[in-house]
Amino acid sequence: MAISLPEGDLDTRLERYLEGFRDRHELEEHDTKGNALKVVIPPESLQSVLATAKEDLGIIHLSFITVVDREGSFEFTYELLDLRGGRVMIKTAIEGEEPVIGTATAVYPTANWHEREAYDMFGVAFAGHPDLRRPYMWQDNFDHHPLVKSFEISTRRTFEGLR
Amino acid sequence: MLDKERIDHQLEPSLSGKTGRLSGPDVRDEFGLEALDMNMGPQHPAMHGLLRLILELDGETVVRCDPVMGYLHRCQEKIAENRMYPAVIPLTDRLDYLANIHNEHGYVLAVEDLLEAEIPPRAEAIRVLMSELMRLASHIPSIGFLMLELGAFTPILYAFRERERLQNIFEEITGVRMMYHYFRIGGVKADLPPGMPEKIWEFIEGLEERFQPDLVDLIQGNEIFIGRTRNVGKMTPEQALEMGLTGPPLRCTGVDFDVRRDYPYGWYDRVDFDVVTDEAGDVEASYRVRIAECMQSIRIIKQVLQMLPEGEVMADMGRRIRPAEGEGFGRVEGARGEFAVHIVSDGSDRPYRVHYRDPSFVNMQLLQEIVPGHYLPDIMPIMGLIDPVSGGWDK
Repeated sequence: MAISLPEGDLDTRLERYLEGFRDRHELEEHDTKGNALKVVIPPESLQSVLATAKEDLGIIHLSFITVVDREGSFEFTYELLDLRGGRVMIKTAIEGEEPVIGTATAVYPTANWHEREAYDMFGVAFAGHPDLRRPYMWQDNFDHHPLVKSFEISTRRTFEGLR
Repeated sequence: MLDKERIDHQLEPSLSGKTGRLSGPDVRDEFGLEALDMNMGPQHPAMHGLLRLILELDGETVVRCDPVMGYLHRCQEKIAENRMYPAVIPLTDRLDYLANIHNEHGYVLAVEDLLEAEIPPRAEAIRVLMSELMRLASHIPSIGFLMLELGAFTPILYAFRERERLQNIFEEITGVRMMYHYFRIGGVKADLPPGMPEKIWEFIEGLEERFQPDLVDLIQGNEIFIGRTRNVGKMTPEQALEMGLTGPPLRCTGVDFDVRRDYPYGWYDRVDFDVVTDEAGDVEASYRVRIAECMQSIRIIKQVLQMLPEGEVMADMGRRIRPAEGEGFGRVEGARGEFAVHIVSDGSDRPYRVHYRDPSFVNMQLLQEIVPGHYLPDIMPIMGLIDPVSGGWDK
């Protein structure tokens, strides 16, 4: 098998990941807790940080992307696994009415559907995504994004503008 | 009355324009015939739940496969934001409804991570026991579904006979046959009823005897089965990792990853089991992986039953669960792959944000990547390889 999974002690590995990120990028904040390394970065460097994680440090699995609506800004968590006990959380935040962030699909192709889901639920656009369609909601004439905090649960609100 | 304009309007956005069709080169065969667009589902007798596939066919070869989801979308994550922490557990049962215990497990692990709670050892042992019984109750029918899709009716009867027996066990333990709501934040709902460990042991011994003749000998050497599944849905480990696959679809390509071993939770670091892999990376390999994983589950259940500790099954969590501001993660090996939960708390008694990473949803990306190039009838075995559940991919 051509794929090499990391070996050795977990703590030294997390230390190596942190060193790798720190050498190549400017980190706003970092923190190691248990088996997880948390790295906070500015949104512009997201794609290059992800490329570092995959190509230089060999963290091959993107587990999920979580978006959190902080009412005014959107917080992104990219959870990466090295498949041998180590976790790396890459966090970033963007602001604005029509938020746009770079896509992770060029580095992690599996981000395709994770990003489609995030776009559907929050209305955050991923620049450079190959196929940004809504997987769950109506594809036409539906401008709501259900997981933003300003969207209230109510049947009437859901169908407003459709009729 | 057939109104042509209305029909055109209904079909137009789905098959062309901005929704359905991806831009790609026109596929024409030697006679100059165009590729044929075809809808498979959402209500299709062989489809796993409500899934619609937009297919582009060149003769009998699939050129493009585009899954359309959302027919069962309930926006579970939004509902969870409006409920108190313990009230989300019954909702997680509805995610992957063939293996609900794993969903509950992932969710309670995430909340316990937020609370930094200690769980009594007996509760952890019972959780592992239930998870492995659930894995059996999900893997065995999925083998049956695969065979049903290939046209063999007998295995599904044997598979559901076993699931029925497992459901009887679950009913005695939890009081419910399908939507268990058995795990609690801090433990499990109730202790095992008297005599239950012996009953499970008896069932497991019987299952070991019946497994070989009913589910292995009947299927494994069958010429039609081999013809329909060998080299179908073939993928390399690199492809599988790029698509983010986990669970049996990843392990059948030879990548040695199992959340139970690599990110241990509960009692899994105290039991002895092997991570099963296969080199072939096709539908037949995924069937072999599921069969071997059932054997490993049986092994884990026996070990847990032998060292089941005494004591409480529920930690004292206080009257109201109100975690401090922060984040909690829970990650379990579900029957279909890695099931992860990410909870963000704002210090109130309701989660600020709940995110589920469901293996059915992520593994379905395989359809887009692997199906093109296969024949139309190969789609169903490939669905059997992924074995997705509608409640899982639609949340």
